[in-house]
Amino acid sequence: MTLPILLAVFAIPTISIPFVYFAGKKSPKLAAMFVALIALINIFLVLSTVPEILNGAKHQYIESYTWIPTIINTRFSLFLDGISASVALISLVLIFVAAVYSVNYMAGKKNLPSYYALLCMLSVGLVGVFLTSNLVLFYFCWELMLVPAYFIVGEWGYRNSYKSAFKLFIFTHAGAVFVLLGIGAVYWLTNGQTDMISAQTALLTASPDIVKWVLIAFTAGFAVKMAVFPVHLWLPDAHSEAPAPMSALLSGVIISAGAYAIIRISFGMVFPSVGIAFGTSFLYALAIIGVVTAFFGSFLALVATDIKRLIAYSSIAHMGYIMFGLSLFPVALADNNPVLLTTATAIAVVGTVLHIVTHAASKGLFFLTAGGIMHQTEERDINKMGGLASKMPFSTVSGTIAALSIAGAPPLACFISEFLIFVGAIQIINITGGLSSFYIIPTALMLIATVFSLAYSLRFVSKVFLGTSKDEAGAEEGHKDAADHIKEEKHRIVDVPNYMKVSLAILVVLVVLIGIYPTFFLNLIQTVTFGGVS
Amino acid sequence: MVQILDIILPIFTLVIASLLTIPVFRIIRKQNSHKTALTMTWFLVVFLIAGVTVANLALTYFSTANPVPLNLALDGSASTAVSSSFLVDALSVYMAIIIVAVSAVVMVYSVFFVDSNERPSDRYFAIMLILTAALLGAVLAGDLLTFFIFWEAATAAAAFLMMYRKNAFSLNATLKYLIMVIIASAFVLFGLSIVYGITGSLNYNTLREALSASTLAASDKNLLIIAFVFIAAGYAIEAAIVPFHFWLPDAYTAAPAPSAAFLSALVDQGSYYILIRILLYIIIPTGPNQVLDWTLMLAFLASITMVIGNVFALIQNDVKRLIAYICVADVGYNLVAITSVTSLGLAGNLYFFLIGGLTTALAFMVIGIINNYGIRTLSDFAGIGKKMPLVSIALVVAGLSFAGVPPLGGFMAKYLVFTAAIQAQLGWLAVIGVLTSILQTAYIFRLINAMYAKKPKDETPLKENKRILIPVFILVAAIFILGLFPDLVLQLLQPATQQLSALIPSI
Repeated sequence: MTLPILLAVFAIPTISIPFVYFAGKKSPKLAAMFVALIALINIFLVLSTVPEILNGAKHQYIESYTWIPTIINTRFSLFLDGISASVALISLVLIFVAAVYSVNYMAGKKNLPSYYALLCMLSVGLVGVFLTSNLVLFYFCWELMLVPAYFIVGEWGYRNSYKSAFKLFIFTHAGAVFVLLGIGAVYWLTNGQTDMISAQTALLTASPDIVKWVLIAFTAGFAVKMAVFPVHLWLPDAHSEAPAPMSALLSGVIISAGAYAIIRISFGMVFPSVGIAFGTSFLYALAIIGVVTAFFGSFLALVATDIKRLIAYSSIAHMGYIMFGLSLFPVALADNNPVLLTTATAIAVVGTVLHIVTHAASKGLFFLTAGGIMHQTEERDINKMGGLASKMPFSTVSGTIAALSIAGAPPLACFISEFLIFVGAIQIINITGGLSSFYIIPTALMLIATVFSLAYSLRFVSKVFLGTSKDEAGAEEGHKDAADHIKEEKHRIVDVPNYMKVSLAILVVLVVLIGIYPTFFLNLIQTVTFGGVS
Repeated sequence: MVQILDIILPIFTLVIASLLTIPVFRIIRKQNSHKTALTMTWFLVVFLIAGVTVANLALTYFSTANPVPLNLALDGSASTAVSSSFLVDALSVYMAIIIVAVSAVVMVYSVFFVDSNERPSDRYFAIMLILTAALLGAVLAGDLLTFFIFWEAATAAAAFLMMYRKNAFSLNATLKYLIMVIIASAFVLFGLSIVYGITGSLNYNTLREALSASTLAASDKNLLIIAFVFIAAGYAIEAAIVPFHFWLPDAYTAAPAPSAAFLSALVDQGSYYILIRILLYIIIPTGPNQVLDWTLMLAFLASITMVIGNVFALIQNDVKRLIAYICVADVGYNLVAITSVTSLGLAGNLYFFLIGGLTTALAFMVIGIINNYGIRTLSDFAGIGKKMPLVSIALVVAGLSFAGVPPLGGFMAKYLVFTAAIQAQLGWLAVIGVLTSILQTAYIFRLINAMYAKKPKDETPLKENKRILIPVFILVAAIFILGLFPDLVLQLLQPATQQLSALIPSI
């Protein structure tokens, strides 16, 4: 009998939702601290399972409860392995940071009790996605993320916020119903299995001609969440119009949940049953989508003038990296035989999962810094910014670190994960024959794409922090009149308030720490072996 | 062992209560104070008794392990081919439970629905009770004639509810409904007469055996199939399957909010119940006892019902009419379940009855509250979210449940239905189902968008009547609880699926 740790991770935020609301009625700050505290407790609960994952025989932490035994035989199965623990941890950290950040950022806005209650609800769904091994429960959590996200973006967002929120909801929900079709098909093909692990085994006997459609349905649904190239349309609007803490969560972890789901469900469950021929072309398709997405996102980021849109486009670009990494997933080290491999031997796999983590931390930091700048300057066009380094030194440090990490500069977090992805790709190319030759061109193109990401990151830093302030430049030329002067006195730009500083500091430390010492996450991720192929 | 008295008691209770309602209201009206409280007490007592009698029926029936369907003639003996009879099996018991439960909630809402000039009168309540009784009788009927009689009583009562407002629009809508119902009844009667002429019986069980018997002459069999097509078509009209749906949006829009809730939650499901009885329990579509494979035709009807219902909902501007079109679309999803002919499909279908009924009832109740302020169209709904926060949350819950967003009940219903369709290798039908479901999400979010994103014309919050929120939030809680713990209902449905698989071994 183990302690119901994972159930507690679910239950604590769920039960707290009304209490958060009433705490918010008393004081919004209290509610924020409440949400942060819940996230902190959950971080410790997840950390407490880490020894079991690292040292246990199966490298998993499993709990299973009776839920719907009648007719559809669905259990409330929870589990953590190295991959899900890493992603769940970074999500909880981001929720913690977002809650703390909101104290200053959201101060003075309306309906704050509802905001914090929705944030709490969001955390249930978001962490739940990484915790469950049951398809129906997975879908519950998957959609549970969406409703709070809609209302947070809509109610507390910027221009045209409900329209952006509508796009967010309708696109991801449309993707999700294809996931639902996939779940139904798995139920049919496996005679009523909804557990990922047992379904994986049962699917092996099904006809590959049908299973490949299941794979397509699942992957298409998850790809919408990831916002890769043809289905990215919702992302720039939703991520740039959302309030900054929500942008950080959306861009940091919610879209990466799509990548996680592809790893866990498309690859972990369905892929071993589709047959070699289709499996190979499927991976090629993912690689091509990855490359196109990376370029597409980078180009748009390079020309964007809106501070948050720039970061949102860079999220699209980074989903391209992750998609490319995913395409290397099952083939890594396996010549012309696409089977799933242990993470211990496949460097690309480790790199991709680590990139989900590092990208979450870096992108969270990036969006929170940008939010702080917008909050203090009330300006979102980077052409009108400049010279903020002297006025907002703290934000300058955090923003530069975020931008450099996103650009993949060592020794920051994203460097190490991108590096591992490329090493994994080259590892595959080195294998003679089979699949390997295909990857030469995509890998080369991805390397080129990193140059662009460096370009837009540096453009961001130079436009926003460096140079001279536009107001000062105007003053020197003598065009500034008295009214503007008074206005500037009123809105003297100062650095972000304390709660924001704390949350930025946490992520800065995290980004630097993962960059120089990624061992904790690497150890966790390396323990994962995919079911069925052992 | 279930006695005939156990079956008749709930029906009798409601009929007698309905007759007593008018005198009781006379007495209540003479009181100076606490009129609403007294009315409430009266209905609570009535539904308590009805609830206890139905619970008694269910408990007695399920007290034996693996209960078998029980067909009893009116004098309590086992039914013969010609006797009028009641049928108790897991399906009819389940329907009886949901009819009484939902009816009770709608009744509470009707009592509290006092703020408008549409204030329900004593006659209105009497008709509601009679309607509940008739529906109970219909779902417990054991032969087509008994069903027909109870069902006609129910449609007559439903027509009264629709024309309650007595304005031109409602009279027009009721006329439309009555014409459709009369055509439907003529179809059904024509079919019944052929069936009786050939088999000498209208009893469900006898008919099923007669149809699958090998002694039946081929010409007779074909004639019987034609007869059943007539019967099914008659009830298809009443279930508002496209292309026979056009009476429904008018009728539900014309009816006052409590009646619309009642009609959508119960009368709609009642007409659908008989389709299940005929299509699954009499005309067995697959397996060794196969009579007629109707699945493809019904799959076609299901797909056009889903598409037409949702597309028309998308272009509605009047919110009540929008919800009425969702009812049409829901019929389509129900048809998907029945078409699959699997035990999962039956379970999904019955679960959908409950959830779809609760959700439409909730939506109509909320719309009724909002309509009281003269707010009808999508543009009027601007800013309602700020002005009436609690009512709006209830409408959002209903909308999300329609769209099939977990953890609300609507998700589990759709999951069961689509999975059943896939299981029956009707993947294309499931694909149409999810695509129309996306459409549904789109117009529901158009509504939510209007409620929250648009600026209201004036910012003054409207006063929310707290009492009327009680039944509304009972339904909200029910939709949440049934979505999170569907096992509560599925346990009741398992015997029904077992009994069906005894008839159709292949499922």
